[in-house]
Amino acid sequence: MDLKLLKAQEYKRRVKYGYMWAMFCAVLWGLWYIPGTVIWDLNPFDAMYGEIAATSGDGMALVIVAVLITAFNAATVVLALMVWNGVLGKFGEMKRTVKEFNPCSKWFFLAAFFGGPMAILGSFIAMGFVGGAFAAVAALMYPVIGSIVASKWYGEKISKRAFLGIAFIIIGGFTVFGGGMLVELRSGNVAWIGYLGGLMAAFGWGIEGAIAGKGLDIAEPDVGLTLRFIGENIIWWVIALPLLAIAGFPMYKYALLVFEPMTMLVLVFAGITFGYCYVTWYKSFPLIGVGRGQGIGNLYGFFAVIFIFLFFGDVPGWTILLGGALCLIGSTIMFSEDTGEMESLRGD
Amino acid sequence: MAANRPIKFRILELCHNSEGRWNYEIVQQIQKEYNMKGDFSRDSINFDIIELASGGMLKDIESKVDEDGIYKKGFLLHKYTITEFGIIRAKDACLMYV
Repeated sequence: MDLKLLKAQEYKRRVKYGYMWAMFCAVLWGLWYIPGTVIWDLNPFDAMYGEIAATSGDGMALVIVAVLITAFNAATVVLALMVWNGVLGKFGEMKRTVKEFNPCSKWFFLAAFFGGPMAILGSFIAMGFVGGAFAAVAALMYPVIGSIVASKWYGEKISKRAFLGIAFIIIGGFTVFGGGMLVELRSGNVAWIGYLGGLMAAFGWGIEGAIAGKGLDIAEPDVGLTLRFIGENIIWWVIALPLLAIAGFPMYKYALLVFEPMTMLVLVFAGITFGYCYVTWYKSFPLIGVGRGQGIGNLYGFFAVIFIFLFFGDVPGWTILLGGALCLIGSTIMFSEDTGEMESLRGD
Repeated sequence: MAANRPIKFRILELCHNSEGRWNYEIVQQIQKEYNMKGDFSRDSINFDIIELASGGMLKDIESKVDEDGIYKKGFLLHKYTITEFGIIRAKDACLMYV
């Protein structure tokens, strides 16, 4: 068989896998909004919110409950990832990688800081103060941050076409959620701390992707990801929760009440969707690059709308349909890129 | 070298020579050094090589069709060598003695 033809075929297959992983990420990320929304109405989190709100006010209560929810989210994600690594037989590699602090694990722990306390908590704060719509709009900006950081920092190549695709997806994302946001703005109650949370989400996830790319260069994605979430668990369970408990918040009282069947089920669902959304996200980066991986991953906004409609029965408005179409156009532009020219994703 | 460093470090090390290495040679050597048996390990090591190549740390200097089924019959075999970028990235990780 022709060598050149085989080569082109092989390369196409590789990029196809990269996009496939990124697409799985988008679906799972979209699904995550279901347990992420439901969990707020379940005990002990509902009761905890009530207790803290009574003494410290609604705003403080939201942030503190968001911390506990994020901590449990991180815990169930690590559980899901341990199963994943166990099935793939990667514990040995994990041990070898964690020992390489300077070249490898350093980057994953740094990524944990930007991904956890900045992006995920920021999203929850934005959801709580302004609403889910705004949280998602703000987070949709993260590929822009990620692409800029990745290209400035380590010279990742981004083609014009990829830029165009990313632009379409972002405009689409804004349209999907923009309608809801306008209503919130019209009602006059502008909650600025929520907007700060939105910025935290966009910058946190964008920077996390770029930093993760740095460590992933020379590590296994499955292993790197697990280390990143172990790092996040340390931040929450060893640093944040004890500090908040010392500050007088009833963290442990409610953390111990979490073992209710329904609450556990929802948390495990959150862990599985979020954990595997990250697995697929990280897997796509080495194959198609941070910018493209994040661009396709961004279709989560579109999937989230569909899943929320299916599970909660919220009928989508015309802005959502238009935005969804724009997101699909953007991802098609990226999918159909002539992959022959991007043999290597980096500059020389 | 003992199998006590991450697999990708070892792959970069193995490719750090002027004439390059064939992917099936790398895979076989890693399987032996890290005591990883079976086709799943083989494919997973090969995927590590692919990731390093698409990350720009390895480059493909020669390919041939696997006519005899040394690795996978009918598929391509690749010969890789480390790139400048790969050397820079590997320097603070695994090529400290270079």
